[in-house]
Formats: sequence, C-alpha cells, structure tokens
Amino acid sequence: MAYRFPSEEWIHEYQKAINASEDYKKSGATWTAGAVCLVVLANPSIDMEKEIGIWLGLNKGVCEEIRLVTVEEAQKAPFVITGDYSRWKQVVLGELEPIQGMMQGKLKLKGDLPTIVRYVKASQDLVECASKVDTRFADESI
Amino acid sequence: MLNVETPLFSTSPKGVIMGGYTNRILEVDLSTNELSITDLPDSDKKRFIGGSGVAAKIFLDRFNIQADPLSPDNPLIIMNGPLTGTTLPGTSRFAACGRSPLTGIWGESACGGNFGAELKMAGWDGMILKGASEKPLYLLIEDSSGQLLDASDLWGKDIYQVTDLLKARHKESKQAKVFAIGKAGENLVKFAGIGNDKGHFSGRTGMGALMGSKKLKAIVVRGSRDCKPALVDEYQKLRIRLIQKVKEAVPGQALRQMGTDVGMDLGMMTHDVPVKNWTSPQDFDLSANLGGPALTERYLTKNHACYSCPIACKRIVKVAGGPYETEEGPGPEYETCCAFGTMILNKDLAAVIKANELCNKAGIDTVSAGSAIAFAYECYEKGIITRRDTDGLELLWGSIDPALKLIEMICERRGIGALLAEGTREAAKKIGSGAEEFVVDVKGLDAPMHDPRGWHGMGLGYAVSTRGACHLQHMTFYVEQGMSAYPETGLKVSYQGPRSEGKAEMYLLSENLGVPCNSACLCLFVLGCISASDFAEMLRVTTGYEGFDVEELLKSGQRINLLKRTINSLLGMKKEDDRLPKRMLTPLSPKGNVPEIDMMVEEYYALRGLDETGRPKRETLERAGLEDLISKLY
Repeated sequence: MAYRFPSEEWIHEYQKAINASEDYKKSGATWTAGAVCLVVLANPSIDMEKEIGIWLGLNKGVCEEIRLVTVEEAQKAPFVITGDYSRWKQVVLGELEPIQGMMQGKLKLKGDLPTIVRYVKASQDLVECASKVDTRFADESI
Repeated sequence: MLNVETPLFSTSPKGVIMGGYTNRILEVDLSTNELSITDLPDSDKKRFIGGSGVAAKIFLDRFNIQADPLSPDNPLIIMNGPLTGTTLPGTSRFAACGRSPLTGIWGESACGGNFGAELKMAGWDGMILKGASEKPLYLLIEDSSGQLLDASDLWGKDIYQVTDLLKARHKESKQAKVFAIGKAGENLVKFAGIGNDKGHFSGRTGMGALMGSKKLKAIVVRGSRDCKPALVDEYQKLRIRLIQKVKEAVPGQALRQMGTDVGMDLGMMTHDVPVKNWTSPQDFDLSANLGGPALTERYLTKNHACYSCPIACKRIVKVAGGPYETEEGPGPEYETCCAFGTMILNKDLAAVIKANELCNKAGIDTVSAGSAIAFAYECYEKGIITRRDTDGLELLWGSIDPALKLIEMICERRGIGALLAEGTREAAKKIGSGAEEFVVDVKGLDAPMHDPRGWHGMGLGYAVSTRGACHLQHMTFYVEQGMSAYPETGLKVSYQGPRSEGKAEMYLLSENLGVPCNSACLCLFVLGCISASDFAEMLRVTTGYEGFDVEELLKSGQRINLLKRTINSLLGMKKEDDRLPKRMLTPLSPKGNVPEIDMMVEEYYALRGLDETGRPKRETLERAGLEDLISKLY
C-alpha cells in the first residue's frame, strides 16, 4: 500500500523504517542534539494550503517520536530544514541528499551547521529509510 | 647593500593607486644584483588581466621558455591582479609563476594571505626575479625602494623562523609581510612551495624550488599607499552588496564555521575523497575523525582571514601535548587532511596537524608530499621497496609516524627522501617494477584530493588543465556539485552525477570563468558565493573598463588559456599528455563508473579550438586576438 507524502500514515511508516535500520542505529548512535523538523512549504496546486512540519524526535540512533506539526511549532526544534514540495520529493526518492541540498541552497537550515555536517552518514541513512516507504506523491495523484 | 629608488607613479600623483594597477613591475636580476622597473603594457592588462595571465605573457615574450626550470634563465614571476589589494571581498590573491621544476611545463601557484595586497600598496603590480645569486639574499621592498640584502644567516632556517626574524629585523615597517622558502626550497625539492606569513602558500608546481635555485630566501614588503577604484560610487555599492552576499551564502558559512576541511565530511558522502592512495571506497570513520567539525571542535583556537575576506576559512590550531604536540599556528586545509589522513588510512587528526606544521615550516606542497608518501606506502605494501630502502621505516597503512619521518627526509633529501623529492612520477620511473601504476598525476603534477570517479567533469579538468592535475583553474567543483550555477555564462541547470555527457561544455565554460578569476586574483571560494556578473562588475568598477561584462570575462578566459596552452605546446606537450592516470580510470567497486575521458577530451578540443595534437589552431588564435602566437607555434 502506498502512503501519501506527507501524511500521518506516511510518517509512521517512516518511523518504523528508521527504527528498523541497523545502519541508522549505528550512524546516529551519538546523536543527542535534539529534534529535527522537516518543513514542507505550502503548495496550493496540490491542496497543501499551509506549511507542514515533520517533527523527528531523534536520539541516539532511535526515532523516539514522529508527528506532524505547524510551522510555528516546527521552529521550536533545534534543527529546522525547509524546502518546497518538489525538493522533499527528491529527498524521499533518494535523488537529493539533504546536506548536499543545503549546500546547494535547495533546502534551508536553521540550526548549527557543523553539528549537521558531522552526521552526514546518518543523514544518508535517514534518506535511505525514507526511500523504503512505499510513497504516493500528491502531485502525481492529481 | 643595493638600492633602487623609483619615482612616484605618474598615475598616482598623491601616492594613490588608481584603477587596479600600479603599471609598474619590479625587475630583479639576482646574477648582477641589479634592480629596475618595467612598465606593464596597457594592451596586456586588458587582454590578460593580471596574475598568472600577465605572467604567462611576460614569460613567453621575454624569456627562453626552454631553459631548464632550475637554471638562472628561468624567471620566477610574481604577479598581482587588478583586484588584489582592493577592499572587495576575496582580493588577497597573487600568483607565483615560471617553468615548473616539477612538471617541466608552465607552472603557477596562487596564494592568499597579505603579501599581494602589501605589494600592491607598495606600488608594484608584481616582480620578475631572474638570474641566480651565488650567495643567499633576501629582497626588501619598502614602497618604491628596493634592496637586496645578505641572507647568509637566514639560510637553513624554516619558514616560521625566517618570518619572525625578518619581521623583527624590519619592525619599523610594522606591517611588513614576508614571502619565504624553507629547507625544501633551499634543497630544490621539486614540489617546494613559498610561504606567506607562515600560513599561506604558493604550494603547487614547485615554485619554492625555483626561488631556491636563485638563492633568494625571502621577500619582505611594506607598502603605504591606498588602492582606489576607478568608479568609486559604484564600487562602494557593489562592495557592500557582495560582502553581504558572501556572508549569506551557505558555502561561505560552511567554510567560515568549519574551514576548507568541511570538504572531508561532505566529500566522503559524495565519493569525492581519495582513500588509501585512491584504491578504497568511502570510509565515514575516517571523515568523522578527520573532518572540519572535528578539527574545529578539538583543535581550533581562532579563525583567521586573508586580506579583505568576509569568509575567514583559515584555521589557527594547537595540539596541546601528546606525541604530536604543536605550537599554535596555521591548521591543515582539506587537502592536507586527505594527504596525511585518508590517503594513508591515518585517522589521528593531531598527527595530521603535526604533518602540516612540518610541511609549512620546511615549505613543501602538502598535496604532492602526501601523494609521494602514499605512493611509497603502496610500493612498500607490494614489496617493491623494503625496509632496506626506507632506512628501516615500516610504511604500513594507518601508521603516521613513518610519514612524519619521510617529510623530513624529503626536505633534507636524505635516503629515500632524495628519490621522492624529485616528484612521484620521477621516483616511480627510478623505482620501476610496476611502481608507475601507483602514481596518480597528470603531466607530473600529483592530483589534488578530489576523486573524478564521482565527478567526471573534474576528471576532464585534471586531464586538460594547463598546469597538470588541477582543481583550481576552473569552477567545476562548484558547478558540478550544484553549489553554483552561473547561468550568465551559458551553463545549464544541472551537471550533477557521475556521467560524462555534457561535461566538456560545462568544463569549458567553468574554465573560461575560473581562468580570469585566477588572473584577476580573486579567491575561488568567494566566486563560489557570487555570480559571474558580480565578478565582471568587480573588474569593471575597479579598472573602469567600459562595458566590461561576462562576455568579456569569458573571452579573456579563452585567451589566457590559449596562451598557456601555447607555452605548453612549445614545451612539448601533446594530446597524449591530456589524459588521466590508470587509477582514475579503474572503478572502485563493481557498481562504480569512471570518466569517459577520451570522449570528453575530444569534445573539449573541438570546443576550445585545438587541433588533433592539442595545439591551438591558427584560426582559434586569430579569433582570440592572439595572432602574435601563430609565428611561435607554426
């Protein structure tokens, strides 16, 4: 079954994939820097009237919590990565590595860049987990 | 003591340098101890901009380019560009040029720091150092005055010592800047560099050996003039805008926060980092220990900036205690962290800092030194050399202590160090037994630490660049990795991915942009944060060249590239030299791919207007306004 990105169903599948990943367990084992929030910018053309945040409660190689949040709440996370829908689609498909996306200006980071850079392998593993979720993209279903 | 007094400049009656150029070059004959002034022709300024472009023109017009690189007849030409010493961002650069002792072809090595700006403020666009002295000398420049002074007491001292001694000796010139060689340059190590104030180097192509062959230990400069742009109002507005732009750009922020070694972490992810002399795939354990965040967190004492730079990527570091204790000083760049880290599987960053300090003091290029040492490790692993050849050193992967010893042996030309001091390619020829397979160079210049198996356009750059394997004559790194786009140049949107199609066009355009960047003496890191139009504007408002735009910029890139390629053709370079080493054409894994180098070179030749031997065609030279080169080449 394919899950719509982003949605409650999709994020819970994503959490399962993260916590099933031995690679992420290892590469994220020392991560104690707090939550990472992925903000998908509004896109009325696919019925996304508001920004949607995906709050990832990451800690020591485990995704302890995952939830959809408002853009206001998202800003409370120590790390906020923001991009438009097409960019996040590329990330989920494994076509764009988020840290590379930040260096290219395709994704915006609020938070400490060196901390993020230190975890490039963990970032790659999180992308790998996302690509394992059977995903249906809103722009394709219209 | 010898003196030369020059008059104030006609273009700057109040001692102010206008329009980016002083129009004067100091000429020093080390054989006769004579100093004189040469004018910088107006025609050369606009056509070749400055820096290595103008240096190449002077080299070809005035000197016997076939002269042995270490003979008195090979000049060392040190040139500023029009942007050097302005207050625009990233304008510290200058270039040291001549026939390379390492490669035998055109050699050039740009440097940051403060020396170039000080030289401009002293009233000089550059200097031509020719001949050779019998005894050690140093050159003191204080504004329009120049003196050659005895350096017998300085010969044998390292770059840090000689810098401190000369600054103390000329303390009345409070802001004096020093450009000096160490033991490696004195001992004519083929990849010796020249150091500016300890932490900034003309590292590549062996310009330190060229300076050493002239018995010139150092150049001290102090200038007191101001540099004023031609178009003051526009300049001020542009300056404010560009400083802000550079500060806001993510690559600039990453460099400021983590130094160039941020490339280790990011490059490991993108398969850019060479591991175990280019034979192993990515290894995140190495990058976690050797990368920019680790360097910053564990060893950084403060940031440091070159002249007029809002990025401040330089690291000042200290290893406090332990076997690799260092004084507080300039830290390793990304390339050095690879050269003495990933290339030999060493993950002790303190040891890399120590290696960097040794190289800085002795004055050798860390890229070539690390490459030569990794090559020796592989020869040892394969049994081609043994402990008998290494004075008992066990060159085992992961072990840094033998590498530290080898640095000293190379700089002092002791034991196997004497062999490696000739450069990796020459060492392999002498060692034989298949050692040539382990050499990763182009035209004798060891490859910088970016793996073209991840980025095929970079591979083309290595193959055809005019100084051998080079990642700094072009903007390929930024363009191919998607960090900069430069659509005004004709570059299209995306060239990412390990593929070769379309990369020749990308490379040509990014070379046409990168070449004038070096000639104008703008830092590539700053150009990576701004647009091509911004760069053209920097030149226009500084020089006052009416209508100077991106098109003119790219034309100058074509022109300067053809000039240097002409020099190399005259020095015997042919199409077979525009190639990649076997190792770069060998996949790292069954799924890996490699650059289609023959296809890309063919396409590049067609786009650049070269004939089947790699020479610029007659009509290409005519179109570029280089008719004077035709009689030299044909």
